[in-house]
Amino acid sequence: MSVMSSVLFLAQVQPVPSPAPAKIDPPALDAVWPILIVLAAACVGVLFEAFLPRHQRWPAQVALSLLALAGAGVALATYLSDAPEAGEMAMFNTLAVDRPALFLWGTLLALSVGAVLLIADRSVEPGGAFVATAAIRPGTVQDRAQVTATGMQTEVFPLTLFALGGMMIFCAANDLLTMFIALEVLSLPLYLMCGLARRRRLLSQEAAVKYFLLGAFASAFFLYGVALLYGYAGSVRLADISAAAAGTDRSDTLLFAGMGLLVVGLLFKASVGPFHTWTPDVYQGAPTPVTAFMAACTKVAAFGGILRVLQVAFESTQWEWRGVLWGVAIASMVIGAILGLTQTDVKRMIAYSSVAHAGFLLIGAIALTDRGLSGTLFYLLTYGFTTLAAFGVISLVRDSSGEATHLSQWAGLAKRSPLVAGVFTFLLLALAGIPLTSGFVGKFVVFEAAIDDGMAPLVVIALVASAVAAFFYLRVIVLMYFSEPAADGPTVTVPGAFTTAAITLGVLVTLLLGILPSFALDWAAGGAFAIR
Amino acid sequence: MTGTFNLALDTQPAAGAASAAWLLLVLPALGAAVLLIGGRRTNKWGHLLGSGMVIAAFAYAVVLFFDTTSLAAEDRLRDLHLFDWISVNQLSVDFGLRLDPLSITFVLLITGVGSLIHIYSIGYLNHELEDRRRFFAYLNLFIAAMLLLVLGNSFVTLYFGWEGVGLASYLLIGWYQGKDFAATAAKKAFLMNRVGDVGLALAIFLMFKTMGSTQYDVVFSQIGDQSTGTIVAIGLLLLLGACGKSGQFPLQAWLPDAMAGPTPVSALIHAATMVTAGVYLIARSSPLYSLPQAEDARLVVMIIGAITLLLGCVIGCAYDDFKKVLAYSTVSQIGYMILAVGLGPAGYAFGILHLLTHGFFKAGLFLGAGSVMHAMNDEGDIRRMGGLWKKMPVTFVTWTLGYLALIGFPFLSGYFSKDEIINAALGQGGTRGWVFGGIALLGAALTAFYMTRLLILVWLGKPRWENLTSPATPDPESPEAPVGKPYHPHESPSTMTIPMIILAFGSVAGGAILSAVLPEWLTPAIGEVEETHGALSHTMVGILTVVLAAIGAGLAFLLFGRRETAVERPKRVSFPVRAARADLFGNHLNEALFARPGTWLTRALVYVDNRGVDGLVNGIAAGLGGSSGRLRRTQTGFVRSYALSMLGGSILVIAALLMVRFA
Amino acid sequence: MLLAQQGAATVSTGEAVSFWVLGPLALAGALGMIFARNAVHSALFLVMTMLSLGCIYMVQQAPFLGFVQIIVYTGAIMMLFLFVLMLVGRDASDSVVEVLRGQRLWAGVLGVGLAVLITGAVARSLIDVTDQGLAADTANGGRGNVANIGQLIFSDYLFPFELTSALLITAAVGAMVLGYVNREQRGRRTQKELVEARFRGEHDRPSPLPGPGVFATANSVATPALLPDGSVAPESLSRLIESTTADKLAAERESVAGTGPAAGTRALAPGKEESR
Repeated sequence: MSVMSSVLFLAQVQPVPSPAPAKIDPPALDAVWPILIVLAAACVGVLFEAFLPRHQRWPAQVALSLLALAGAGVALATYLSDAPEAGEMAMFNTLAVDRPALFLWGTLLALSVGAVLLIADRSVEPGGAFVATAAIRPGTVQDRAQVTATGMQTEVFPLTLFALGGMMIFCAANDLLTMFIALEVLSLPLYLMCGLARRRRLLSQEAAVKYFLLGAFASAFFLYGVALLYGYAGSVRLADISAAAAGTDRSDTLLFAGMGLLVVGLLFKASVGPFHTWTPDVYQGAPTPVTAFMAACTKVAAFGGILRVLQVAFESTQWEWRGVLWGVAIASMVIGAILGLTQTDVKRMIAYSSVAHAGFLLIGAIALTDRGLSGTLFYLLTYGFTTLAAFGVISLVRDSSGEATHLSQWAGLAKRSPLVAGVFTFLLLALAGIPLTSGFVGKFVVFEAAIDDGMAPLVVIALVASAVAAFFYLRVIVLMYFSEPAADGPTVTVPGAFTTAAITLGVLVTLLLGILPSFALDWAAGGAFAIR
Repeated sequence: MTGTFNLALDTQPAAGAASAAWLLLVLPALGAAVLLIGGRRTNKWGHLLGSGMVIAAFAYAVVLFFDTTSLAAEDRLRDLHLFDWISVNQLSVDFGLRLDPLSITFVLLITGVGSLIHIYSIGYLNHELEDRRRFFAYLNLFIAAMLLLVLGNSFVTLYFGWEGVGLASYLLIGWYQGKDFAATAAKKAFLMNRVGDVGLALAIFLMFKTMGSTQYDVVFSQIGDQSTGTIVAIGLLLLLGACGKSGQFPLQAWLPDAMAGPTPVSALIHAATMVTAGVYLIARSSPLYSLPQAEDARLVVMIIGAITLLLGCVIGCAYDDFKKVLAYSTVSQIGYMILAVGLGPAGYAFGILHLLTHGFFKAGLFLGAGSVMHAMNDEGDIRRMGGLWKKMPVTFVTWTLGYLALIGFPFLSGYFSKDEIINAALGQGGTRGWVFGGIALLGAALTAFYMTRLLILVWLGKPRWENLTSPATPDPESPEAPVGKPYHPHESPSTMTIPMIILAFGSVAGGAILSAVLPEWLTPAIGEVEETHGALSHTMVGILTVVLAAIGAGLAFLLFGRRETAVERPKRVSFPVRAARADLFGNHLNEALFARPGTWLTRALVYVDNRGVDGLVNGIAAGLGGSSGRLRRTQTGFVRSYALSMLGGSILVIAALLMVRFA
Repeated sequence: MLLAQQGAATVSTGEAVSFWVLGPLALAGALGMIFARNAVHSALFLVMTMLSLGCIYMVQQAPFLGFVQIIVYTGAIMMLFLFVLMLVGRDASDSVVEVLRGQRLWAGVLGVGLAVLITGAVARSLIDVTDQGLAADTANGGRGNVANIGQLIFSDYLFPFELTSALLITAAVGAMVLGYVNREQRGRRTQKELVEARFRGEHDRPSPLPGPGVFATANSVATPALLPDGSVAPESLSRLIESTTADKLAAERESVAGTGPAAGTRALAPGKEESR
């Protein structure tokens, strides 16, 4: 069927017979190989599901996914070595492969390596964090039987790759239509993967349904916005919208109504308050590796999209909309910081922290300068790795019913496992933005860019919010170090190679970017968005 | 007003022995890392490793000191470039160390006092061997962060150390995990410090915005070109940071509560080193504060210093907890330092001088207090002590020397430093000189009063502990639960007494030596001392200070030395009645003239401190928690209600966009 | 050019009539979908809306969009909706009692608010716009709507178009993951396995249970089968429908089993015995 070969098809597309005499040349592919490799691997993964016997699927899928990520990384590096400085358009101008897009692709690929390793792990939970057969109804005899079964739904691997492909396209989309389809491509696999937890399946399925319904709601906003913007500019291309906004005297109502709706759809994906309501429930219910993937990669992709839309399409109208996004950023920081204070579940706490971080990121995104862009990109990189490792650690603390995420169960963890407590402490400090972690540098460059762009009051609020937020991170640290462990408390599982590798990756990057951030900052400041 | 301010802005690259200055940071950090990662395996030798690392750092600091003194005065500002930390576009921060007389002075103080307190802690924590290793890890972490704070060559590096010491202090205040008040105190310290940190962070961002750098040399060479508003704003924001870290008004309340931590921590962090970081910050920023445009900012610095120094003294008179009295004393003495550095070129050197002498004698006093509490089942209530000098002679002698130094006994260390500050304050001339000088003199008298009270209640008089037992619960607020152990005070082991003896030597001789050499030594870093000539001559000021201190001490003897002290804290209403009954003839007048107004003032201040400041902090915390709980109810778990909130948000966004455009 | 604009600016009577018929129908369908209690009715109302919209598109000279609307949405998607509804059960409906305070009120207020905002924005921007027919030269270059869409899909928008295949694959994989259970995991055994298990003694009896008795007077499953001796076979009665019929047979069962009341002193007054 054509669905499977869609990507391979692209290479050999022939000019379509049409009434127009113009001959259509096949698109040049050298800039988009990373995307094509990821999507092709996803299709091959689906074929593996169809043709390989059950017991061979897991090793084959893990190998395929990691190979695909490595291959995409190599393709990216090869392209980067002689990429044009100003970026180029690919795929008939639907993709803008410029420096920010390449940086985001690199970030996404690197984060996905960690996420795939967490997803593939079968040592922490025997058989992996995913249910053996998702179609069996929770709570039935068969369901109880499959708790001990060692299989898992290996479809998560191609689904992860599809989501990753969608995210990469989302960051590089040069028109709103491509962006919308990429948004769906990245979301749909995530909706599915959220519902595949092995333990607490009802909670997991509830999370999936919630995410799906609210995601569809947000997509509707996005699409409505696209329609209005098309009505305004006569095109869905970002550069055309920008040109239309800069140089015409047509009524602006369509532009601003369309922009509002569009931005709501984007902010939802980035879990910026007050569009964050799905975040805690979904982070809590989804299998932890999926949460890690979502928290790290979706945030990167969504802010990549927000940056591009704001900087390319709406830069000329910034004086009108900036105040509104100020308000949104403040709301997000305040909601995240204050609601995080009373959470009793580690995963929910990190979810609210991600809402607060989304506010900080939005500050960088509305500073429409080169420094704002590079600062936000760098912040995304640091936040992604820290969060990934944090969820990796969370998956290790377990009791008989699965992960022990209630905060009271973390009391005195340092006595049971000093190493895990130490690593988690370090990650929490990074989230709080304490110096010598990447979190500090990220906040520093973003706030510095914001001040430079005349947003000092916003930075003051951000600093206060981060002070409040630092409090709930520290509370966990105190709990781990200064409380007596409960007698029947959870145990810390010794992770296998995969999870160890993922956590180590996250921690090392967090430390490295805290001490030697220059090289990554240089990459992030490689160039601006290509506007064509 | 700027005076003969002469600052060599050109720094030399560090070479020779100084090029290994990074060792100062790495040694304690390595100790902390080994102890934290090594876990229980290091229990046996962890304390030795921790102490060894700090002693090694001290040894290197001494080498560095002599290396620097061998240079000509104008070559003593040295920069050790380590690596480019952030460099992107116009933004550039490099990570380097600044080795100049000011930072080397602090390094010597931190590693020197730090080494002594590490050694002392070996003895102090011999009851809790299991956790001792972790304690040393935190102490090492603190030393590393503190050294980073004073050695960094930019405000950002300073901010690193600033946050690091805050974290280490937080961990150490909350050391006694079982006790609620320790956790609360740690939380409070953290929150109030964050307020200061926000100020410091904003100052740094403002520097970036206006000057494009936070390196000391760049900032100080360009600060003169900035507008007055910018300079004053940066000055005030830096002051806010200093207030948070140094326990200055209005952010002073966390410091006394921080005494919930172990006594070595109180001595090291909350007396000698960390809390003086604010003084360091202002002295380091002296090129900024010395500008004529910064006049207003400096006046605010002085006012804050003066208020704090009085506040600390008065409240210090009221507390019955050994360490809290000392803590308020610290607050007040840091007030002196802030006042001194607020005086500008006339006072920088004396502020630092007082900081150093204070580091010696206050650390000694705290260690003495720790020694007493160690011997008295961790009892901190001075009303349950008395007559201890017979039981603990070494501690008594060292403590008394520290006491004499603090109240400014002639020719002990506190005499020199405090005297100079008072003289410089009076030297301001005019009303301002009289107000600040007068406050400083009054503070000296009050200091003598409350310290003498402490001396009498703890060491002299009848031993009131003989028929008592320690409270069964470790709660200090309720001493009436007489089922605990009886007290058996005893002299402490030599690991504890030797550091006290060394510090006592410092308290006695430090002032004379330092006051002779320090101003000249510091000149390359903070400029020359500006001569001041106030209404009173220098000798006159010295005599006046001593006389006032003697009056304060004598008053304390009259009030507390001659009559029995009740073990229970007197109830507020019954206090005058009981006092009158006990000593109808002698003290009645004193009561009416001095004690009662003093008592009322003290009580009022304590009340404001407890209700006002604490209330504000607790109120904010409670408010945040409450609003969090209320907001949390919006998270119902129903998709339709989530969708509704999204819809509401969208309408707000769209309506706002349309309104901004068309309103 | 002038001609085209003139032609576009006037709306023909037929178009106006069809709009005023189809527009209210579409709106009524949309409202009906929201307010209908029965899910099937809701779906049918939606079908009506989509059909009307498809017709409007065609009247607007957008035949491709019109046909896609009808074939894909009305034909495929809505029919699938109906299949699912029928599978789930026509009567299955969620509780419509609202437990959240203020939810309905605010949903109504905000929904109307959003509608007002967007309608206002769109209306305001359309005040001074000249309309163009899609069939005119200015809109489609004289080649018509269909050819242009075709060209765009295979040139400029080739990539997003192909990308939708990723969406379709994901959807198919998702359906498989959430819907498919293979036999051994479902825990159901084949007939052969069942027979073997029976003879191995895993079940109470090797043969199936006897069916219900079918008599001239009754053909209910509640009627018991009779054993060769004329007594009732209790196993032939379903445990699920332990009805009054089964109760009535209790005495007979006892007598057949020999556990009933034996002849004795009270044998002449069986009524009392029964009422026990």
